[in-house]
Amino acid sequence: MRSATEPTAAANPPAASRLRVRLERWNRKLHYYAGLFLLFFMWLFAVTGLVLNHPTWSFAESWTKRTDTNSERAITALGPELRGDLAQAREIMRQLGIEGEILWTTTRTNADQFDFQVRRPGHYYFIKADLALNRVTLRHSEVNLWGVMKVLHVFSGVQLDDVRQSRDWALTTVWAYSMDAVAAGLIFMVLSSLYMWWELPQKRLLGAVILGLGSLICGLFCSGLRWLF
Amino acid sequence: MRGRFYRLIRDLHLYLGLFSSPFVLLFAISVFFLVHAWLPKIGSETSTTRVVSALPLPVNLQRLSGRPLIDALKATLEKADVHGEVGFVRHMVKEEKLTIPVTIPGRETIVTINIASREATIVTRETGLADAMATLHRSPGEHAPAIRMNWFYMQAWRWLADTTAYLVLFVSVSGIYLWYVLRAERRVGFVLLFAGALSFFGLAYALSH
Repeated sequence: MRSATEPTAAANPPAASRLRVRLERWNRKLHYYAGLFLLFFMWLFAVTGLVLNHPTWSFAESWTKRTDTNSERAITALGPELRGDLAQAREIMRQLGIEGEILWTTTRTNADQFDFQVRRPGHYYFIKADLALNRVTLRHSEVNLWGVMKVLHVFSGVQLDDVRQSRDWALTTVWAYSMDAVAAGLIFMVLSSLYMWWELPQKRLLGAVILGLGSLICGLFCSGLRWLF
Repeated sequence: MRGRFYRLIRDLHLYLGLFSSPFVLLFAISVFFLVHAWLPKIGSETSTTRVVSALPLPVNLQRLSGRPLIDALKATLEKADVHGEVGFVRHMVKEEKLTIPVTIPGRETIVTINIASREATIVTRETGLADAMATLHRSPGEHAPAIRMNWFYMQAWRWLADTTAYLVLFVSVSGIYLWYVLRAERRVGFVLLFAGALSFFGLAYALSH
């Protein structure tokens, strides 16, 4: 059975160079291969994209179904060599046995009071450290699988509208570059599919109409609305 | 029968994939902007300021908040010739001022209304294509669902974003079927599928445990 992506005789005349035939074959293979490798990543981002767009869907609710654990812990005094919020936060996390991405949510006004959050998919740590008394109040919130998946969708360690946030956990960096790889893979898959479609002359017209319609609608939102309003 | 089903799935995979491809490109390209908090300046970023007076204001302004306030301010914004998705409205009672952020992908407008004089200062900033793509990627998003999607076009965008997600799911499932029919590709395909699953679940496990 011929595949939709297999070149037809018309698209592949005898005079066609071997290079082109090889390009077509590898383009088709790589389209499959990339799709199969990225399958679970694509499903994660597609499903969580829907869930994030519909925060009222109760089945995917995670925050109100969280479990909270509160504790108070003593820490050893932070030495003078720990300069800056990041170094101090890392030392407190080390002592508490917490790993994750640090989130700066408050501006420090009192040198002895140090509040910050640590986040990783499924876990939220709210840390309030009293550096004068060397005590930490810790709230640990754990969310369900939907909560893990939703955080994975947005877990980059940085925010466009908050320059204070930067990646400070190695696994966040790994995940961020994984998201880049998935995006690059998707771009490749789109481009390779356009090439395969173009190699099917009998499908060109209808395909062009559909692609044109999609591009027109997408273009309207990217640029057109600014022209209209 | 099987051949007809195969051809149907193949054509749907092709045409639905073609329709969704510009949207998939938009979401995929904007990933780089969002993951690295980096917006390339595509086109010049401009800012303009204008003043509009004699604006109509809702009579029960003091009692309104949230979505009803946004709906009531629609006529005011229409008169000021400001269009777009209205964000969180700040009512500064002491200063008798309203600050209304209005967004069109690629444009941010801040309307500051002096309630007593019914005069508005409107600052419009053209933020460019990259910002438009990042805005669309994040819209509507999970925050403030009660006030979001108050502009028809953003409502339409939600439908399109949802449609893109459903189409990606369909195209991936139909792609699996089309791959599985090709017996010659099965072995390599299974290896890659397994490697992808291992990478995905391995990473997800490491991040969450």
